[in-house]
Amino acid sequence: MAAKDSPLKQFEIVPYSNTELGSYDISFTNSSLSMVITVAVITLFLTLTVNPRSIIPSRMQLISELMYNFIAQLLSDTVGDNGKKYFPFVFSLFMFVLIGNMVGMVPYQFTFTSHIIVTFALAAVVFIGVTILGFVNHGIKFFTFFYIPGVPFYMHPLLIPIEVISYLSRPISLSVRLFANMLAGHTLLKVFAGFVVAMPFFTGALPLAFIVALTGLEILIAFLQAYVFAILTCLYINDAYHLH
Amino acid sequence: MVDDDKIQKLKERIDTAETTNFTPPKQKKQSGAGFGFKISTEIIAALVVGVGIGLIVDKYLGTKPFGLIIFFIFGAIAGFLNVYRVMRRIEKQ
Repeated sequence: MAAKDSPLKQFEIVPYSNTELGSYDISFTNSSLSMVITVAVITLFLTLTVNPRSIIPSRMQLISELMYNFIAQLLSDTVGDNGKKYFPFVFSLFMFVLIGNMVGMVPYQFTFTSHIIVTFALAAVVFIGVTILGFVNHGIKFFTFFYIPGVPFYMHPLLIPIEVISYLSRPISLSVRLFANMLAGHTLLKVFAGFVVAMPFFTGALPLAFIVALTGLEILIAFLQAYVFAILTCLYINDAYHLH
Repeated sequence: MVDDDKIQKLKERIDTAETTNFTPPKQKKQSGAGFGFKISTEIIAALVVGVGIGLIVDKYLGTKPFGLIIFFIFGAIAGFLNVYRVMRRIEKQ
């Protein structure tokens, strides 16, 4: 198959400008454009729909309020009263991932969450932030997070490295989950789209029907992964408050 | 300004919606593939970290291959620990 027809071509980064800052390449690419669109959609949607501030909300205002309540509820369920001040962070993260996935569902639109570097950067922000939070709350006692009470003392040399590895694996599992889901879903869509053209007579309608179903599933996954990202962030924030 | 008529109407609609026998949609069980995916990323992530630490230890302490072997095993155990924690969290819900 020619490279231009590859199902993976959709993940290619296309620079729109050649900008360099020092030795870093900071070109504006299709990925950047996608992120700008995402942020613009979020900002416009939330400000415009909530702007009327009507007591009887319109359908669109209801959607905005639903999203707000969804994250507020999530935070109060997992973190409790301490969680309120992290609402802006978790909400921004959730909306960025959710709308980023949704913008990616538009045909011909680049999906930036299908790049591991993007999801890993998001996960690293969460990970570093939560670690700093843990040190701010508990000081040096934060290290007892890796110490499991009620275990014979000779087991600790074994258990502490395991706990540390388990802790360090958090940002990787968080980022890989989102990235792999989006990558797999979009590749699958393209592969089946290839079948539509390749199959003889009218049998191409079968994979076409499958794509329609798969698109629905992809939208579900797009939401689910944003939700998973948000809930895991909440759980990590909770861990930074309550060791064990 | 909001007119009272509109609110009254909405109130009636809410009342009728609440009184009509409304059964909340059953919580859809997570698909097997999604669940397997969740579990596998946990194991892979822990292994990646374990192998990474092992390779770094080998590079700077010159203990090639032992650092890799030991930290690979630690990584594998940490992976299972992660899976155990995920399972416990799911069971709690």
